Amino acid sequence: MSGPVALHTPTTPVAGAALASDPVLRVNDIQAHFRTQHFGVSREVRAVDGVTFDVRRNEIYGLAGESSSGKTTLIKTIAGAIKPPLQVVGGSVQFSFMPGYPGLHAAPAAEVERVRWRHLSYVMQGSMNVLNPMRRVISTFQDFAWRHLGGSRKQFEERVVAHLARVRLDPAVLRAYPHELSGGMRQRVTIALATICKPDFIIADEPTTALDVIVQKDVLGMIRSIQQEMGSSVLFVTHDMGVHAHLTDRLGIMYGGRLVEEAPTPEIFSRPLHPYTVYLIGSLPRIGDDTPRKSLEGSPPNLADPPTGCRFHPRCPLAMEVCARQVPPMVESLPGHRVACHAVNPGAAA
Amino acid sequence: MSEPLLRLDHVSKTFARGGFFSRRRIEAVKDLSFTIAADKAEIFTIIGESGSGKSTTARMILGIERPTGGSLQFDGLDVGALNGHADRMRFMHAVQPIFQNPFEAFNPLKQLDRYLFLTARRFGAARDQAEAERLADEALRKVGLSLAEAKGRFPHELSGGQLQRVAIARALLSNPKLIVADEPVSMVDASLRMAIVNLFKALRDELGISIIYITHDLATAYSISDRIIIMQKGEVVEAGDARAVLAAPQHPYSRQLREAVLTPDSPRALAS
Ligand SMILES: Nc1ncnc2c1ncn2[C@@H]1O[C@H](COP(=O)(O)OP(=O)(O)OP(=O)(O)O)[C@@H](O)[C@H]1O
Ligand SMILES: Nc1ncnc2c1ncn2[C@@H]1O[C@H](COP(=O)(O)OP(=O)(O)O)[C@@H](O)[C@H]1O
Ligand code: SF4
Ligand SMILES: [Mg+2]
Ligand SMILES: [Mg+2]
Repeated sequence: MSGPVALHTPTTPVAGAALASDPVLRVNDIQAHFRTQHFGVSREVRAVDGVTFDVRRNEIYGLAGESSSGKTTLIKTIAGAIKPPLQVVGGSVQFSFMPGYPGLHAAPAAEVERVRWRHLSYVMQGSMNVLNPMRRVISTFQDFAWRHLGGSRKQFEERVVAHLARVRLDPAVLRAYPHELSGGMRQRVTIALATICKPDFIIADEPTTALDVIVQKDVLGMIRSIQQEMGSSVLFVTHDMGVHAHLTDRLGIMYGGRLVEEAPTPEIFSRPLHPYTVYLIGSLPRIGDDTPRKSLEGSPPNLADPPTGCRFHPRCPLAMEVCARQVPPMVESLPGHRVACHAVNPGAAA
Repeated sequence: MSEPLLRLDHVSKTFARGGFFSRRRIEAVKDLSFTIAADKAEIFTIIGESGSGKSTTARMILGIERPTGGSLQFDGLDVGALNGHADRMRFMHAVQPIFQNPFEAFNPLKQLDRYLFLTARRFGAARDQAEAERLADEALRKVGLSLAEAKGRFPHELSGGQLQRVAIARALLSNPKLIVADEPVSMVDASLRMAIVNLFKALRDELGISIIYITHDLATAYSISDRIIIMQKGEVVEAGDARAVLAAPQHPYSRQLREAVLTPDSPRALAS
């Protein structure tokens, strides 16, 4: 065991049932950069720089990693929410329910329209403010979900009320304007919107940050049960490692625009291999534990001018000469456990 | 006894909401009282249910929302009735907010450095642009950023965690006596989260700034708070020394909260 902590007893991969099934999402060497001009100086922020992974049917895939490591940009690229200055520079994003297109960004509007809400829904980071401030909450539900769910106005409303109860919201919120709700209520409204049509694929970026732990547990339970009911897939981003530990089946860790490690979630906690992940898992604060936590030395990589080779090398305690020279490839170091690190996979770069 | 820095005296806030037919009254905060001392800086933490009135309390302390009952005093000023320009400026200088959602806290059409320069010149010591830039850079460096990274950028060009750090830097620029931080760390990674809460500790210990820290994160609350209150439905259900309360909560709601914390150590609760 190489990790400093052993939180779970090592088990065989939990996602046993999901392991065998086919990918619903296939992300292949995707690169998405921000190209900006400031005062005549052009800058290219390589926020996502060559990420490859699959999300299978019937699984919750988690993403964690440093702030500004590119999680939201990756998620936006997958969800097709690409606006200048963001550009897809290379690679592809394939959904099984949308064959023939290398990503939502490259599909015609009618096709995107067809899959939105029904097949794919997306809860954006900080999305409490996407609710239209001028309209009552019920109108937003009518705009997005009614045509997919059908039924009379009364039936539709009953369905919405029942769904809101699953995220512990009172039907009265339907008559409210967004500014009349607390942040946590708005956040639950957006989650309810994203899940009411029971889509095949749910993409959620920090969807429960404004919720107290009790409500959060209910909301996550709701997401899990909808996912299981439908055998659907969820791509879930959060900084809360406790949430990952309990909810996600597999977990990918990002650093500096790249995926650096991926494994069944319990294994990330019991046996982290990449030095950044080892640090991340070891730094988690705990109630009742008074030992001071160090923050990582040095600063996050500047993605407009990233370090050469392994992007973690300026901060890595294990860095070797090769690390500054060669990008470590993502290698399956253990079954189902991929890592991009020269120390873990000596000789793999050849 | 000297006057406290902040005194909430039986503060309540009732909102009216709903259409013509179903006008409902919502008691967001009910009869809340506490004080923060002037001579000893502290981190005062508020945790509680979503919708329990934490942000409403914060907004009343910041003078954004007026209480419908009771009174709030800050450093001898009646916060519910700030009248003259001089009083208002003194208050805004001394009490700084950090909001729940950094994406809502900034105007999307305004470059971030301009906020910082404006604050440096309005509340800080800066007399000219060069000084404003220097102070802005200094404040950004305290939160792990730099002016070079923020310069000319709009809010949506930063990640959630970066934007929240800019908000904290802006708050530091006016040398406040009190910072009201409403869920300041919910969008940052564990490492940065610790960096930010450790920064709060340093502000308390080195600069004598008191902090009202509203959070759902019981682990950071445990690690930095002096006192804590736990709110449910507008009311305080438990209050006291933060470590004592979090280590052994007494009220049933506080216990429920404590038990619902998802930690990597406990068995998987939501697994398939
Ligand atoms: N519109 C934009 N223009 C230029 N750069 C951007 C833009 N949006 C994001 N970036 C940059 O891209 C990088 C990755 O940002 P992203 O939002 O993907 O991070 P993240 O991993 O989601 O972080 P967090 O955990 O803080 O939300 C950051 O350096 C950020 O400043
Ligand atoms: N401007 C407003 N108008 C009507 N109701 C409001 C307003 N702001 C907050 N509320 C209500 O007050 C209660 C407390 O909200 P808030 O203080 O934001 O909670 P939290 O503890 O989650 O921060 C909630 O029921 C919310 O809907
Ligand atoms: S490749 Fe080298 S620098 Fe990068 S994480 Fe591994 S040992 Fe550290
Ligand atoms: Mg993000
Ligand atoms: Mg709030």
